[in-house]
Amino acid sequence: MSSQIPSFFSNDIVLHVEGIRKVYPNGVIANDNVTLSVLKGEIHAILGENGAGKTTLVNIIAGCIKPDAGEIYVNGKKVKIDNPRTAIKLGIGVVHQHFILIPTLTVIENIALSLNNSGFRLNLSKVKERIIQLSNLLNLKIDFNTKVEELPVGLKQKVEILRVLCQNANILILDEPTSVLTPIEVEEFFRILRNLKEKGCSIILITHKVKEALSISDRITIMRKGRIIKTLTPKETNEEELSLLIIGEKQNSESISFTNENNNTKKILLSVNNLNVRGDRGELSVKNVSFSLYSGEILGIAGIAGNGQKELVEALTGLRKPESGTIIIMDENVVNKKPKFLIKKGMAYIPEDRIGRGVVLTMSLAENAILKRFEESPFSNKTIMNKNSIMNYAHELIKKFGIIAPNPNIEVSNLSGGNIQRLIVARELSYNAKILIAENPTAGLDVRATDFTHRIFLDLKSKGVGILLISADLDELLKLSDRILVMYNGKIMKEFNRNEYDIYKIAKLMLGIEVN
Amino acid sequence: MNSSKLIGLYRALLSIILTFLVTSIFLIINNTNPLLAYYYIFIGAFGNINLIIETLVRATPILIISLGLAISFRCKVWNIGAEGQLYIGAMLGTITAIALGESFFTFPIAFIMSLIGGALWASIPAFMKSKLGINEVITTFLMNFISINFVQWLLSFPLKSPETLFPESERIPNSAILPVLIPYTRMHLGIVIAFFLILPIIHFIMMKTTFGFKLKVVGENPEVARYSGIDVEKILFLALVISGALAGMAGFIEVAGIQFRMRPTISPGYGYTGIVIALLGQNNPIGISLASIFIAAIINGSSTMSRMLNQPQGIVDFIQGLLIMFVLASNYILRYVSKKELIKL
Repeated sequence: MSSQIPSFFSNDIVLHVEGIRKVYPNGVIANDNVTLSVLKGEIHAILGENGAGKTTLVNIIAGCIKPDAGEIYVNGKKVKIDNPRTAIKLGIGVVHQHFILIPTLTVIENIALSLNNSGFRLNLSKVKERIIQLSNLLNLKIDFNTKVEELPVGLKQKVEILRVLCQNANILILDEPTSVLTPIEVEEFFRILRNLKEKGCSIILITHKVKEALSISDRITIMRKGRIIKTLTPKETNEEELSLLIIGEKQNSESISFTNENNNTKKILLSVNNLNVRGDRGELSVKNVSFSLYSGEILGIAGIAGNGQKELVEALTGLRKPESGTIIIMDENVVNKKPKFLIKKGMAYIPEDRIGRGVVLTMSLAENAILKRFEESPFSNKTIMNKNSIMNYAHELIKKFGIIAPNPNIEVSNLSGGNIQRLIVARELSYNAKILIAENPTAGLDVRATDFTHRIFLDLKSKGVGILLISADLDELLKLSDRILVMYNGKIMKEFNRNEYDIYKIAKLMLGIEVN
Repeated sequence: MNSSKLIGLYRALLSIILTFLVTSIFLIINNTNPLLAYYYIFIGAFGNINLIIETLVRATPILIISLGLAISFRCKVWNIGAEGQLYIGAMLGTITAIALGESFFTFPIAFIMSLIGGALWASIPAFMKSKLGINEVITTFLMNFISINFVQWLLSFPLKSPETLFPESERIPNSAILPVLIPYTRMHLGIVIAFFLILPIIHFIMMKTTFGFKLKVVGENPEVARYSGIDVEKILFLALVISGALAGMAGFIEVAGIQFRMRPTISPGYGYTGIVIALLGQNNPIGISLASIFIAAIINGSSTMSRMLNQPQGIVDFIQGLLIMFVLASNYILRYVSKKELIKL
């Protein structure tokens, strides 16, 4: 390892961490003797599973968490980063996995807020100038006067990147940045990273996607269970070796068998007719959408974030009133019905925004596990809760879905992103749902958790559940869906049956380019 | 005791200690020995059996109010209007009791009417909050002035007792009066009702029922609540109405246990004191019962202390104001301290 790394005091090392250790109050060793160097103008990927300690390391470098031991050197000088402001001053910019934007402020206001150098007078026009200059460089198209809460996740992330760049960061840390992007957006995003690298920026890319790490980075460091396993260059390794290093054991990932039955024998579970839905700003976001979901099928919806998927899902789950059209679930029009009614009707929903909509962070794992069923027996008799059966049930879910948690009383805020997703999946699948609406269900999950989720979907499918899979991950859609609908600008562009899948055609349609 | 309860206890103790520290500074500036002052406060509150009963008498209305407030605060509905809800509830209860005259049903019906009075008064801001999204802090607070002045007018003109010169109602019938349990003291049945009936009921509702669970989910994350099928608007409405009902009940128990008439001075700001207690008790009914006795002791003891040491009566409001401030700040202080602690691990 030492042969690849220039000597310790070399000018080329912009960031060096030495012997970082972090033990959380609940006893989890998140980082154990982590030593890592990042060179000037390199893209350094840190690969590892959920819970490998990647995010903790990022938070330590960013000054959000204090390490129990260890030292940090920036440009050869020992520094003490005890709050995020110090990190920013040192030129370290972080884009976190969960965004830290203020929803009710506009894009410009959010960025201006983070700059904090405008003195007493807030000079928004100056900020705007800088944003436009940077966004031209990155080729971003964002309405800067939009409130952040109205932006889809994909765009929020771009705002985050812009924000960090506006702070003149030269060490950029990106935590799972591609999990919310489509393949085409990822290409675009990598182009931006290479661009930044040429300008002398060092980039630390936290990811669990082996392919991405191989294609974009100069060096790859593998983390497992809080430890650094190895640092490699893409040239001297391959996908298989990296996967093995990440998991640390041979994984039996036999390919998923796929059966495609004829739809004629199945019944329609969900039928959407001429649905129109308005977005937050009153614009028509879903335009005249019609489709049917059959029992025992996975219907994929492909599209770049922000093309009406969010509004469509909210209309289907009863969170947003449609403008016109019908949504028929098992022969009943459910337009204007409340979520409770839809849940009773057998609709499960795995939301895209896990933290905001999926769980209550400040409540326990057990309480979150019964969120949708607390009025059912045995968890309560409608009025009085039964603590014992809730606890037993939570224990059961932890075991069955492999959620890593010391006990069901743990606050969900102490769980890692992957474990939170497992908890949500566990909860949504625990009642006998007939329809599952899944929004980017594997975004940010590691290989094992993704595989786990996919298997569950296929299992549900074989049991006759209809799954509407909205995903930005085209590979996932191609792998799982029986049919794919491509959504662009609120409209369904085209429907593909499994035997007609063509990744280039689908990708083009996602960008609104008509194909014949 | 789990860790979140323990943190709640730390918060309460920390804010009490800080409050006493700051109060001490002002007492010293005022040429008074703070330890002596606190000694007199303690003696004034718990010095003999009579004083202890008086402290419980004082604690009763504020306990009932703050239990109600805990329900609304649990789902982050900030009811600042308990004072007004108390007046309307007490007024309606008194009117009912006087109208019914002596009968076996006088007390129960008047009691229920006081709940309804407080609930109805709270239902106006509750409706505005849940249906129209109007901030309840402003509406509940401003409605206090309407209700208190309205009651003052009722007692000055249409409902004024013909026997007295003061603006007050007739005496309520004897059958509406809460019996005294220990002769020659003011230890009335209402105190027992508050501590041994209302307190366990509210504790049960908050900790063991699906309604209590819904309150918590709505308070912590309304978006998740909505997506989980909880009718968020209904919960917000109910929480505010229930806290209004309890404030009304507190008012009537004060009439039926202590005053025997409705007076415009029935509450020296109990509705606001209830806010201090709900915050100090961390929305936990057990914590609230302790906090209500603590605050009642400060109120009663301070008057003794100010007489003995020639200190201003306003010290009570001073201490209450500091307590609110430190309870709210203690969350951040504790987080800061615990972060420092973690590094040492």
